[in-house]
Amino acid sequence: MDFITFWLASMPLFSVPLVVAALGLILNERAGVLNLGCEGIMLCSALAAAAAYIEFGNSTALGLIIAIIAGAVVGFGFGFFVVVLRTNQVVTGITVVFLGSGLTGLIGVPWTNVALGGLQPIRIPGLTDVPIIGRFLFGQDPVVYITILLVAAVWYFLYRTRRGLELRAVGENPQAADADGVNVEGYRLLSATVGGAFIGLAGGYLALGSAKIFVFDMTQGRGWIAVALVIFARWMPWRALAGGLLFGGIEAIIPRIKALGLPIPQYFLEMAPYAVTLFVLIYAALRLRAGQDAPKALGMPYVRQDRR
Amino acid sequence: MCRAPKRRGAASSASLPLTGLSMLRSRRLTIEVRQRVPTWLRALIVLGALIVGLAICVGLLLGRGVELGSIYDEFVVFTFFQAAGISTVIVQSTPLVLVGLSAALAFRVNYWNIGIEGQFFMGVVGATLISIFDVGPESIRLVLMLAMALLFGGAWALPSAVLKIRLNVSEVITTLLFSYIAYYFVLNQVYGPWKDPKDKFPHSPQFDASEQLPLIGWQQVHYGIVVAGAAVVFVWWLVERSRFGIQSRFVGSSPRMALPIGLPVALITAASAVLSGSMAGAAGFVMATATEFRLTPAMAAGYGFSGIVIAFLAGNRPVATLIVAFLMGGLYVAGESMKVFYNLPDALVGLIQAIIVLSVTASEFFVRYRLRMAHYRGA
Repeated sequence: MDFITFWLASMPLFSVPLVVAALGLILNERAGVLNLGCEGIMLCSALAAAAAYIEFGNSTALGLIIAIIAGAVVGFGFGFFVVVLRTNQVVTGITVVFLGSGLTGLIGVPWTNVALGGLQPIRIPGLTDVPIIGRFLFGQDPVVYITILLVAAVWYFLYRTRRGLELRAVGENPQAADADGVNVEGYRLLSATVGGAFIGLAGGYLALGSAKIFVFDMTQGRGWIAVALVIFARWMPWRALAGGLLFGGIEAIIPRIKALGLPIPQYFLEMAPYAVTLFVLIYAALRLRAGQDAPKALGMPYVRQDRR
Repeated sequence: MCRAPKRRGAASSASLPLTGLSMLRSRRLTIEVRQRVPTWLRALIVLGALIVGLAICVGLLLGRGVELGSIYDEFVVFTFFQAAGISTVIVQSTPLVLVGLSAALAFRVNYWNIGIEGQFFMGVVGATLISIFDVGPESIRLVLMLAMALLFGGAWALPSAVLKIRLNVSEVITTLLFSYIAYYFVLNQVYGPWKDPKDKFPHSPQFDASEQLPLIGWQQVHYGIVVAGAAVVFVWWLVERSRFGIQSRFVGSSPRMALPIGLPVALITAASAVLSGSMAGAAGFVMATATEFRLTPAMAAGYGFSGIVIAFLAGNRPVATLIVAFLMGGLYVAGESMKVFYNLPDALVGLIQAIIVLSVTASEFFVRYRLRMAHYRGA
C-alpha cells in the first residue's frame, strides 16, 4: 500500500519536466522547427534556476522565472540559427546540447552540488490525507497544477485560435501559409523562443522541483526522452500529458523498487527509462505508422525562392 | 552535408525580407541567393567564421583566468611543433579519425547516427569478451578482438537502421537511446561480472600483453594508426571509387529520386548505418587496446559528438576527416592539460567544439546568400 502511495506521490516530480518540455517541443515542431537542443536548453535553465535561487535569497518563483528567461534566450538563439541563418536543424540542435553541457560545466561551478530548498508541496487538510491518491492529487507543489493549465492553454492555442491555426499551417505547408500572408519566419522564430521558455521551465523545475540540486549533466537524457514523448504523443498536448505520466511513472518506480530491495541489478533498473522509451516508440510506430501525424515541413528550412 | 546547394535556376531578383527588419519601409535588408560561389570566397567566409569561433573560445578561457601566453603554448607550440606533442596528438587523433569516419558514413545518406558512443562501447565489449574468455591463440588475439569490435559495433547500429527503414522511427532518438542502454550495460558489467578483482575501481581486468596494440617505435605512437589509416583508405575507396559510393551519394543528395530510379535505398541506408557502427566499434577497439587496456565506463565520453563535429567540418569526406581529426586531436591534448593546470571542467573540449560548429554552420548562410539593402519606392 505504501509502495503505491509513495510511487504515485513522487510521479509528478518526474513527469512535470517531461510534459512541460514536450509542450515546448510541440510548439516548436508544430511550426516546423525540429528542436533537438532540448537537452541543452534544459541544462542551461536548470543552472539558471539554481543560480538565481541561491543568489536572490532562496526565491523559487524568481528561480523559475530566470529559468524561463534563460530557456527563451537559448531558444531564440537556436531559432535565429535555424530560421534566419537556415542552418541544418539536426546539426544545430545536437550542437546546442553540447553547448549547454559545456557552458554549464564551465560557468556553473559555484552553484553546482548545492542543496536547494526548492519547491514545497502544498497541503490541503483532509484531502491530502486521503489514502493512496491523496498526496498524488492534492499534495503536489504549485508547478504541477500549473502544468495542467499549460497543457490546456497550449491545446486551446493550437486548436481554438486563429494564431494557432496559422502556426500549424506554417509547420504543415509554409509555402501556402506564406502565400496567405502569414509571416513564416516570424512564427518560427517566435515558436522557437516560446518553446524555449517552456523547456526552460522544465529545466528549472528539474533543479528546483525534482532534484532540488544542480548537478553537472543532470538532465541525463530527459530532453531526448521529451523529444521521443512528442512523437509518442503525435504532437498533441493532452497525449503529451498522458505520455509524460507514463514515462514519469516508470522513472518514479525505480527508487521505489530499489527501496524494496528486490534482487534486480541496479544498472538494469536505471536502463529502464531508455529501454521503455524505445519500446514505446516501436509500439507507437507499429500501431500508428509513425510520422503520419508529424508536421509535414518539420525540420525543413523555408526559403521563398525554393517555392514550387 | 555542408555543401551549398546549387540553385542556378533561382531568379536573382527574388528576395525575401529578413524578419524583424521589415518595418523599415523604404530601405530594407533582404537576402539573396548567390548565383555562383567562387572557391576563394567560400574559403574566406569559412576561415573568417573559424577565426570568430576561436576568438570566442579564447575569450572564454581568458575569462576563466587562463593566460594568453599559455593558450598559445598549449594549443599551438606543444601540440603541433614538438615531437612529444605531435606524437601525443597522433595517439589522441587515432580513435577520432575512426569516429569521424563513422559519422561521415552515416551522414552521407542523411542517416543521423547520434549513438556513436553506444557502438563504441559495444565494440569494446566485443573485444573484452575475447580477452576475458581467452578466445583463440595469442598470436591472432588482436585480430579477433578487432573483428569482434567491428561486429559488435555494427550489430548495435543495426536495430535503429531497421526501425528507420521498416517503421520510419526517427534514428536520431533510437540511436541515442541505444547509446544509453549500452552505457548502463557497461556499468552493470564493470560493477558486476567483469569487475577487476585486483582493485576497487569499476573496470574490467587489464588485457594481457598479447591483447595490447604494440608501439610502432616512435614516441608513444601505436599500431592503431594502421587501423585508422586502413579505415581511411577503405572508406575513401568505398565513397569515391565504388558503385556503393555513387549510389549512396545519390541517396544522400536526393532521397526522393533515389527510389523511383530503382536504387536499393533501404539496403544502402542499412549498410551505411552498420558500417558507421563498425567504425565506431573500431574506435572503441583502438581506445581499449592501446590506451585504456580494459573496459572502463568513461572511455567513450565525448567521442560521439567529436565524430559528428569532425564529419561536419570535413564535409563527410574521408581524407578531410583525417586532417580535421588530427586538428581535433590537438584540441583534445591541449584541452586535457588546460583542464589539469587551470582546473577546468571536462566539458571544455565539447564546448569549444560546439562554438566552432556553430560559427562554421552560421557561415554557410553567408556562403549561400548575400545580404543587401534593397530600395523600394513607395512601398
